Amino acid sequence: MNTNFKRLVVIGYGKAAGDILKYIADRRLDYAYQLEFIEHEIHALSVTENICTERGIPFQRIPEKEVLARYLDEIAERTLIVSASNNFLFPGALLEKENITIINFHNALLPNYPGRNAPSWVIYKGERETGITWHYVTAGVDEGKIIVQKRCEIGPDEKAYELTERLMNLACEGFAECFDTVLAESAQAVPQDLSGERRLYRSKEIPGDGFLNVAGDAEAAYRLLRCVDYGKSEIFPPLRLEIEGREAVVVRYRKVAPEKREEGEKLLFLPLRSGDFLKIKYRVL
Amino acid sequence: MEEKVLEILEEYCEEALTYEGDNMMEEGIIDSFTVINIVSELEDAFDIEIDAKYVVAENFKNKAAILELVERLLEEA
Repeated sequence: MNTNFKRLVVIGYGKAAGDILKYIADRRLDYAYQLEFIEHEIHALSVTENICTERGIPFQRIPEKEVLARYLDEIAERTLIVSASNNFLFPGALLEKENITIINFHNALLPNYPGRNAPSWVIYKGERETGITWHYVTAGVDEGKIIVQKRCEIGPDEKAYELTERLMNLACEGFAECFDTVLAESAQAVPQDLSGERRLYRSKEIPGDGFLNVAGDAEAAYRLLRCVDYGKSEIFPPLRLEIEGREAVVVRYRKVAPEKREEGEKLLFLPLRSGDFLKIKYRVL
Repeated sequence: MEEKVLEILEEYCEEALTYEGDNMMEEGIIDSFTVINIVSELEDAFDIEIDAKYVVAENFKNKAAILELVERLLEEA
C-alpha cells in the first residue's frame, strides 16, 4: 500500500497510546514508513517503552515542552504525527509546516466538551452518551476537521477511569477504521460546527469546584464523586466537604446495598433514589 | 488476608491467580485500569489507604507482590 508519509511519530501515554502504537507497528508490513514513539508525560504504569523495545520502535522520553517543540520542528520528511492521550499543545509554527500532518484523539464527541478531562465533565453534567473523536489538529484547541467519531453510553455507576478506559478502546477502533484513508490523504474529514456557544474545559477546572455538598442531592454527590475518580492518578485533588463545621476530604466512596450499611467512624451514608446508599469515608483536616 | 486478596484478584483479573512470571503488567495480564479497581477494592476490604507511590508496576508484577504490598500496608496501619 502506498502513502506519501515517510515517517510516523506517535506521542502520548497510557493504554490508547500503547494500543495505537502496536497497531501502527503491525501495519509496517503494509507500508514503508518509519515509526517512532515519544513519551512526553511520564506515567507510573506506562508500558509503552516495553512495547517499543519488543517491536523495535525507537523510543524517546522528552518531558520538556521546548525540547519537544524543537525536535518536531526539525522534522524534514513528510510526517504524520499521531497524538493519542497527549496533552502537549503543538506550536503554531509546526502546524503551518506543509510536510507535517497531525491527528489527535479527543475523548468526547466534538464539538462538545473540548479541552481537558472530558470524561469527567460528561459524567458531572449527567450526560447519557459520549464518545471519541479523531480530528486533524489546527491552531484552535480541538477545533480541527473530524475524521471519525464513535459513540458509547455512559453507565449510571460509571467512574471517570472506567469511562476513560472504554473511550480508549473506542479510540483504537476508530483509529483502525480511518488509518488507511489518513495515510492515503483521502479521509472525508468534516468541519466542526463551531457556531454555538462553546466552552473550553481547562486543566485547572475541577467539577463542582472540588466541593462535595453532602447536605444536597445524593445523586449529584454520586456524580461528582464518580467524575473525579481516576483511582490514584492525581488528576484532581481529593474532594472537600464540610462535616459539622469542620473541613474534611473524601478518602473513598462506594455505592452499597441497605443491608451493607454499617455505621462507623468518619463514614457518611447518603440515600440514593435506587434504595442503595452512597457510603463516603472522609478524613477531617 | 490472603484469601480476601485472592478473592479480589479473582474478580478483576483471574489470570493473575495462575500467572507464574514476574511482569504481569508488561505481559498484558493486567492493565492500569484493572490496577485501579484492585487498589480500590483492597482499600475498602482492609480499610487502608494505598498511597499513589505504591501504585507502580513493581508492586503489581504478580500475585505475590500484591500480597506482600497489602501485608506491608497492614503492618504500617
